[in-house]
Amino acid sequence: MKILDPSPKMNRRSFVKNVLNGTIAGSLYLVWPMGGDSLEIPEQIPGIRDTAYDIHNQAFVFIVDITRCIGCGSCCVADKREYNVPDGNYRTWVERYVKGFSDQIYVDCPNGGLDGYQHPRTDIDEDIRDTFFVPKLCNMCREAPCVQVCPVGATFISPDGFVLVDEKRCVGCAYCIQACPYSVRFLNPVTRVVEKCTWCYHRVRKGLLPACVEVCPTGARKFGSMRDDTSEVYNILKGPGVLTVLKKEMGTWPALYYKGARREVV
Amino acid sequence: MKLSYRLRLLIVLISLGVLTGGGLLLKHLLLPDSFGVYGPYRANAIAEAALVPIRHGTNASCFKCHAYEAGIHKTGRHQTISCEFCHGTYMDHVENGRKIGTLPVKREKQITTLCLRCHNTEIKARSELVIKTVAMPNHLADQNVKLTHNCNQCHHVHAPLKYIIRAKQMTRWTEAGR
Repeated sequence: MKILDPSPKMNRRSFVKNVLNGTIAGSLYLVWPMGGDSLEIPEQIPGIRDTAYDIHNQAFVFIVDITRCIGCGSCCVADKREYNVPDGNYRTWVERYVKGFSDQIYVDCPNGGLDGYQHPRTDIDEDIRDTFFVPKLCNMCREAPCVQVCPVGATFISPDGFVLVDEKRCVGCAYCIQACPYSVRFLNPVTRVVEKCTWCYHRVRKGLLPACVEVCPTGARKFGSMRDDTSEVYNILKGPGVLTVLKKEMGTWPALYYKGARREVV
Repeated sequence: MKLSYRLRLLIVLISLGVLTGGGLLLKHLLLPDSFGVYGPYRANAIAEAALVPIRHGTNASCFKCHAYEAGIHKTGRHQTISCEFCHGTYMDHVENGRKIGTLPVKREKQITTLCLRCHNTEIKARSELVIKTVAMPNHLADQNVKLTHNCNQCHHVHAPLKYIIRAKQMTRWTEAGR
């Protein structure tokens, strides 16, 4: 009887390993239907789809580059469309800061930046020294005040670092809305539960960038994994550029960094 | 009635047992499934959050079908602009690989409004390093065209310099020798 040569690169152990890996990966795809045909879209965050997601070993970072933001409001529009956010509530918004020569700061944010900024401010008498846009979104604090105050365990920091709201558990008491130093939470008037920016957790887990990052035409919003040393955010954080976080003195340890933020930005 | 020490101990132990058991049972009944796996919250909420279907695709998802537009869009200065910002979300258009709705195409004045959302010089916070801005209607006057012109009568919306570059090639016209 002739015995077939096994493949030279594969012994029994590695064969079994491969089969098992394939089965696990395959079953994960079956268990997690990706919603529509999102799997056909090329992956934007490398390493999410091809490996089993290790929820305890992830670190995602969001960087907003104020020097590149032009206040077009694309991010706000995309965010509203992605989540059907009710009118008057904003998961993310873009503020306009105007600084006069007397160091007076004027901030406005008509309709959260949804309509863009079509006209300059006309209500300022003094000469303007500096003007810039500041996109705001969830800071994904490591020490999140909103999580501390939730009486029913509806908001939490997931092991991969996202501050999420369990909408089945939330009773809509709005403690967390008061606790959040960045005012990113609101009570959804339709569902009566608290809603907030999630950095598009559902997109990230499918290997896609958050909707606001995807539509930003100038690259002012950057998102990526710190576990991937080729990612843009890793190299920005590694490099010498000055990055700041909002309300550092509150000890919330945000994972949202700002590049080019003046000290007046709060 | 006088109880012996042993009987008293037994009663205390039994009541302790009942209380503990009852408490555990109550906790089991009141706490939802998967509560406390990672911490004091429902661990299943993470999977539920991950399962929410997406509504925006990416430019790549549009280019799969719209090859002609892709050919123009990818070569021009507007390549970083998302299709879905001007046209609407992917999921309103396609479901399970089939077309379910028509997305709007902006026309005439809508296009000018959309262009000026980014390209308006009046808003000072726009660095020349990031975006080229124009003042309206000065730009139309400078270019010697009617003040009623819309942006897309000179600029292709997907590749704004497409026609400009072609016109320059055909006429050997340069900005300096105008």
